[in-house]
Amino acid sequence: MTPTVYGKESLAGISLGSATRLTLSDGPLQLGWKHSGMTADFIAEVMALPYSRSRKDYTQAHHDIGYLSNELIENAVKFRQPGEILIEAGIFDGAFLIRVKNTIDGVTSSRFQQLLHRLQSKDPGELLLEQIETNAISATSGSGLGLLTLLSDYDAKMAWAFEENNDQRIILTTTAAVAMPPSSNL
Amino acid sequence: MEISDENFRVWAERNQVYFDGVFRLAGPDAYAPIYSLISGLLHEGHKQVTFNLTGLEFLNSSGINLLAKLTIEARKMGDLLLVIKGTNQYPWQAKSLPNLKKLHPLIDLRLG
Repeated sequence: MTPTVYGKESLAGISLGSATRLTLSDGPLQLGWKHSGMTADFIAEVMALPYSRSRKDYTQAHHDIGYLSNELIENAVKFRQPGEILIEAGIFDGAFLIRVKNTIDGVTSSRFQQLLHRLQSKDPGELLLEQIETNAISATSGSGLGLLTLLSDYDAKMAWAFEENNDQRIILTTTAAVAMPPSSNL
Repeated sequence: MEISDENFRVWAERNQVYFDGVFRLAGPDAYAPIYSLISGLLHEGHKQVTFNLTGLEFLNSSGINLLAKLTIEARKMGDLLLVIKGTNQYPWQAKSLPNLKKLHPLIDLRLG
């Protein structure tokens, strides 16, 4: 089946053949919340190295990569169905790109697609403030701010692909890119 | 009054709240004790309350939600001045803290 794509379609289709690939597997590790921070820190350490000639650029690159990776991996850990999380990441044409793939259930998928529908017609900055006001008066289990802060505060480019699996589960692939500082020794 | 784990520490001294370290808690429920601690301080009758974020290296989006909720709480209490002291040393602060000013234009946001 053809996946349903939201966001920047060109990003969803981009090949990350030369990217670094990490797989978070269930099993002896007992994949849990802490692994999202650890994995994001690891990716930031590795990917920010080319920017280490300038302290300012390095700090910026390390932080932006860390925040973006952490939010995407946190979502994958939080909403996934049992199974692995596949992560691909790399620096391409002056931008950091990351792709996170995991399976989710039908309910999560439709709730998420509703949010993405709203994103198509509204400015993410406006939607972010709206979501904050909503969260302040209702007790929700998730803040829902991750993607909105990425789009609004980090000017991230993002794409989401939903692909139905044979067993009622949905494979969600999220691809995101943020601009890196211009100077690097890549 | 202090809440901490191996990565972060948050504590209050008189009318100042200090945040230190890396906050990556798993959603609003996990941040609830910190919210209660600070919300309690906002309601103690101070004229001014300061959030000192100069040691706050990293905050995930659920943590940003915590700061936003506290800002809205302060907004509801018309006569309370909320001062937010941040730093340009940690890039997330210049990117995300200005949103608090949009929620509550009367806060005194200082990014040093």
